[in-house]
Amino acid sequence: MSTATLESILEGRRSQPQQLIEVLQDVQESYGYVPEDAMRSVSKNLGVPLMEVYRIANFYKTFSLKPRGKNVITICMGTACHVRGAHLLLDQVLGQLGLVPGATTEDGQFTVERVNCLGACALGPVVVHNGDYHHHMTPNKLRKLIASIRSTSMEEIAHA
Amino acid sequence: MKQYITLTIDGAQVRAVKGTSVLDAAIEYGICIPHLCHVPNLSDIGACRLCIVEHFKDGRSKVTTSCTLNVQEGMVILSNSEKIRKLRRNIAELLVAQAPNSRAIQDVAVRCGVKEVRYPFKNSDCVLCGRCVRVCTEMWGARALGFVGRGKERHVDFPLGVREEFCKHCGSCNMLCPMTITPCKGPMKTGEEYLCGKCESQLMITENRPDSCVWCELGKNFQCARYTQ
Repeated sequence: MSTATLESILEGRRSQPQQLIEVLQDVQESYGYVPEDAMRSVSKNLGVPLMEVYRIANFYKTFSLKPRGKNVITICMGTACHVRGAHLLLDQVLGQLGLVPGATTEDGQFTVERVNCLGACALGPVVVHNGDYHHHMTPNKLRKLIASIRSTSMEEIAHA
Repeated sequence: MKQYITLTIDGAQVRAVKGTSVLDAAIEYGICIPHLCHVPNLSDIGACRLCIVEHFKDGRSKVTTSCTLNVQEGMVILSNSEKIRKLRRNIAELLVAQAPNSRAIQDVAVRCGVKEVRYPFKNSDCVLCGRCVRVCTEMWGARALGFVGRGKERHVDFPLGVREEFCKHCGSCNMLCPMTITPCKGPMKTGEEYLCGKCESQLMITENRPDSCVWCELGKNFQCARYTQ
């Protein structure tokens, strides 16, 4: 996750309403979500009504209005993945983390999301962890993946 | 200078200003095309679908909303054919099912010939007609209201979910909302929704003279384009 500030994101794009979606995408990328203050500031700086910013942030699935965890696990629920047992994977990961789709664990480590299709049907079921595609997933492989994510994050905490 | 064109609505020759919608032209000539989301002087979005008409072109008929259909020279429009009445009745039923507590919507439905509603009542308090959103955006330029979400999550909301300071409490949104018109005396509690039948005179007129504007009470309360002209 890059840590570009709102200032640097807006730099050179002020008063350009057509840049709205790009700016929001950059905000999403650097903050992990679109915070309220950022929406207000974007609205003011680009000259777009706040309503419009809010509407667009709500409309596109790319934008999350709630803070997301450090590790975002996306499970493909498309047709091909579904017939190969994606719902088992979803049950597994939700049960293990005690979440509902779209929610984040209390320690801010995990967010589980479902997506309708990733376009990689031949590799299904597909699970994406922070942009890394894991193909032909099974509940067992998924359990190992989560365990390895957990151990790395524990190490990070220990080092810090 | 205004340019005029001639078109045919329900067999009547109608002269209309170029650039107006078929709905406006019909209303001016006293042909009642039931409508809900249309407000004079605001843009039309064809949200309620009640104002559908048949547009004949090259021997084929096409069903479109008349509020978003611009008049063209030599157009042939049927606003009260059997087909349209059937479709419109169905749409009105769906609107009543969505928001059964609204007097305005019930009246429109009766005007469209609805006697009973075959769909489960949703008891929502919004039919997404967009009247409030458009008046706020276009008339006042305030944009204190807008549509949020998409698909079945689409709803009207303030930006970020709270009323902003730039909303001047003008009340235009409330005034235009089909839900705020004093409801019928007939009860519309959850589980007891039915058309109270107080508008039966309307229903009779609808059956006898389906295409005439009856200067209905509904129009008065609800700012039918005819009343505000």
